Formats: sequence, structure tokens, C-alpha cells
Amino acid sequence: MVDAVKSGFRRLLVLLACLALPHGVVAHQLDEYLQATLVSIEPEGIRLQMNLTPGVAVADKVLVLIDRDNNGKISTNEAAAYAALLQHDLAVQLDGRPVDLKLNAFNFPETSELKTGWEMIQMDFSVDHGSLGPGAHRLKLENRHLPAISVYLFNAEQPTSKLIQISKQERNKTQSVGEIEFNYVPLATNSKTVKYLASATGLIFVLAVGIWKAVSSRRST
Amino acid sequence: MIKKIILIGALVALSSWFVSSSVALDNSAASKTTEEISSAAKNFLSLLDETHRAGVVYKFTDEEQRKRWSNLPTTFVKRGGLRLGDLTKQQRDGVQAVLMAALSPQGYQKAMEIVEGDEVLKKNDHGGPGRPNNPGGASMFGHDEYYISFVGEPSPTEPWMIQFGGHHLAINITLAGEHTTIAPTHTGSQPATYEFEGKTVRPLGHEVDKSFALLNSLNEAQRKQAILGSEMHDLVLGPGRDGKTIQPEGIKGSDLTDKQQEMLLDLASEWVDIMPEAAAKDKMADLKQHVSETWFTWSGPIEKPGFAYFRVQGPTVIIEYAPQTLGGDPSNHIHTIYREPGNDYGTKWWTR
Repeated sequence: MVDAVKSGFRRLLVLLACLALPHGVVAHQLDEYLQATLVSIEPEGIRLQMNLTPGVAVADKVLVLIDRDNNGKISTNEAAAYAALLQHDLAVQLDGRPVDLKLNAFNFPETSELKTGWEMIQMDFSVDHGSLGPGAHRLKLENRHLPAISVYLFNAEQPTSKLIQISKQERNKTQSVGEIEFNYVPLATNSKTVKYLASATGLIFVLAVGIWKAVSSRRST
Repeated sequence: MIKKIILIGALVALSSWFVSSSVALDNSAASKTTEEISSAAKNFLSLLDETHRAGVVYKFTDEEQRKRWSNLPTTFVKRGGLRLGDLTKQQRDGVQAVLMAALSPQGYQKAMEIVEGDEVLKKNDHGGPGRPNNPGGASMFGHDEYYISFVGEPSPTEPWMIQFGGHHLAINITLAGEHTTIAPTHTGSQPATYEFEGKTVRPLGHEVDKSFALLNSLNEAQRKQAILGSEMHDLVLGPGRDGKTIQPEGIKGSDLTDKQQEMLLDLASEWVDIMPEAAAKDKMADLKQHVSETWFTWSGPIEKPGFAYFRVQGPTVIIEYAPQTLGGDPSNHIHTIYREPGNDYGTKWWTR
């Protein structure tokens, strides 16, 4: 009960603060849903880490999609259902082919906190692409989730592995669509050691052939 | 020399502001060693009773507290530590001494201007007494709503942190013996320009001026590289993105002239110079060494008053400046972040 009163008071404070702004200056973020995606590309896999922040004026429009039974609480099932809804609105392509997303984790604040417009939902997806072949690749993400109220950020995280090199990053103006070009150079084709081994193997082969020929010519004489 | 005179003048002017305010200021700040900083912190702790002391010092292993900072008002994201509004005058003086020891004079000045700006926000925009929609006045803004805490016991040799922050300010200073960093530190301002005792104050004004000077120095081809075609609505590496590094973009330092590289370094110094002089000097030397690999990125209008996003990113530093349209005028509401790739909270000095 006390918590409910406190959260209600907090929301009231936000609304009062918004109302206290000079007339005509209330814009953006209050009435926008910021969806920020960080794309992590590593040899082990590709992940989308999303921070979703609904502004106070649109929080109810987002919450109605989450708190389906409108009981003021976000159950695990409701959270998972919203994650699935978001997932459905994310179109991902790898090298021009659609790929699926797998939900790894999510974190939802309390509904009362979401309603303040300051709190964020966090989602973590991995791209289900099978094994990544060596060479150049292109990842494309199109975020079609709630476009009427949303603004987007799309950024590639700098890979921690030197086997992945990002060569280009492109976005449309609103960042609802982003593309990343990258190269994957697996260890087997990257390692100097492997190159040395290949050279040594070749040398041994040539030597072996030479010795075999020499031995053969002695026998024949 | 002229810069020093201006700085001293500004500090003297500021000292008169804060005498009656939350944190006083004098012009005796100078570069301090970790020993002196820890001594100031211990002195502050000695002014506290047992309960207060327990509330201000966290274990160095407390990751939750280490990361408990935000651009948001403290009403929405609770900070740890002690609230300035709950301290006595003597204890506030103790906080002042800690900050003056741990920050450069210009770093301290910037922090105090941000705090004072929040007081202006409280009085002018958000529920000052007498406003019909909030007659009682709101407590979410103003200089009472800033907090100080230590993560770890102050020490000249062992790692520990000083955290000072509230709305639009999160200074996270990690000290580990001879090493010091402020990564990650958030500065912001709303209003970005305000009048105080007949003077115009711009807490982040130099950042704007220097960024536009650099942008205006670029030729057409360089601008094509530097300016992104997409809108940047916020910081990419704001609160909650610790340890992350994004793919650099824009124009690379190696494609800048020597003069433009100097301007890029000068722009970065607005954040680096928040640190004590010795630490800032080391960091700037580091930045200079990597200037060819440091990128400058721009998104948004290329004319002042400055509601464009920009980023400075090199191997050892990431700085973002992101105007916010919450409040209507993006040039009047700013968020920035300073990070060091691989060294947020000075982890490279104390993690194994």
C-alpha cells in the first residue's frame, strides 16, 4: 500500500514537472519510445542488446502491451509475451537471408517505475545463424516495433575478438534500419603458425620427394 | 597566461556564489596527490557520526554501489551515500575539501556550475514556490539533492572510489595508488545557459564552442566523413553500458591536419581536465600519442546554438555529447559521458 502511494506520488511528481515546463516546450522523450540496440559480433555468436525506454507520455501505450491483465504487475509470462512481440517486429538478415532470433534474457522494471518515463526495459537476443563461415558478411536489422511512437539507436559494439573486423556501419536516417559489414577470419586461416606449418609441410614434402628420387635412382643403378 | 587569469577570475567569482550555497569554493585548489585526496576524505569522515559514516563508505567490492549513478534526478534513481541537504555546514565544507582535492580547479568549477544550474532549474522551471501547479516546491532538483559516497576506504595505496552526483552529474573517481581516472563520468546541464548574479554561466559552454570550432575547420571532404546521415537521439554509452566500446566512425585523426588534431585534443581536454592535474596530464599525453587513431563524429545541425550530437573516440577514451529535446530546446539540455575503453572504474589497475 505504502509502495503504491509512493509510486503514485512519484508519477505525480513527473507529471507535475512536465506540466511545470513553459507552454509549448514539452516534446520528445516524454512522448517517444527510445529503442537503443547494441549489436555484438563475436566468433561465438551475434547478440542484440536492447535498452527500451518509453517516455512518460507514451508509457501507457507500451504498458498496455505488457501488463495484459492490467493488474499493475508484470508477470514472467507477460514479460516473455512482450519479448516475443518485440522479436516478431525485428527483422534480421545475415548475408541477405532472414535469420531467427533467440531470446537470452530480459529485465523489466516495475510498472509504476515504467510509468515515470525514466526506467528502461532490457532485452538480450542472440542471432541464430549456425556457424559463421570465414569471409565477408553483412548483418541487417530492421526494427518495426511501434514506429508511430519510437525513436531508434543502432550501433555495432567493437568486437573483442581480433578475428572479427567491422568494415562498415550504415543506418537509415531514423536508425530503425541498420547494416553492419564485417569480416570473419577464423584462427585456422588467420594464424601465422598455420602458415608456417603449411610452408614447413610443403618443404618436407619437396625434400621427401627429392630423397625418394635419389634413393630410387641409386637402386636403379 | 591569459587562460590562467581568466580561470582565477572565474574561480574568485564563483567563490562568492557558493558561500551561501551548498558547497563553498576558494581558489587554493591545485594538483593533489592520492595521499592528499585520501587525507581530505578521511578528514570528512572524521566529521561524521557512526551512523553517517556507515552510510557513506561502501566495500570496494560492492559492484552495485560502484555502478549506482545516473543522469536522472535522485527521486528516480536513488544514489547511495549522504545527501548534501542532510549535512551540517561543517560537513558540507568537508565535502567541498574532498572535491577540491580530487578534481582540478576547472573540474570543480564545472561540477559546481552544473549543481548550481540544477538549483536554477528547481527555482525557474520545476515547481519553485508559488507555482500554481506545484505550490509546495519540488525536491527533485537543486543543490541539496547531490550525494557523496566512497567505495572502499580512502587510501593512498589501495584502490578506492569517490562518487559525487545527482541530476546531470555523476563523477566517479577511482584512485589506485599513483593512478587516477574519472571513467565513467557523466556531465550534463539544464539549463545549458543561465544567469547568476548578473553573469551568464554555461557549464558545458567550452565543449560546444570547441566542437563547433573543429567542425568549422573541416573542409567539404572531411565533413562528409565526419557527419553521420542518421539522427542520434541519446548517448550510446550512457548509464548501464559499462565496459562497452562501440565501433568508431566519422573522421579518423589521421585524416585531420596537425592543427585539427590539436583542436580535437583540446576538445577532449574539456573532459580529461576534470581530473587532477597530474592524472589529466598523463591522460592527455596518452590521447596525443593515439590522436591518429582517434575519431570525431558529428550528427545533427552544423550551425550553433548547438543541438548536434558529437563523439570523440580513440583507443583510450570515448566521449559523447548528446543534446536532449526533453524541455523543448535541445541546446538547453545536454547529456555527456566520458569513458575509457577497458578501464571504466580503473579496472585495469585492480582486477586480476
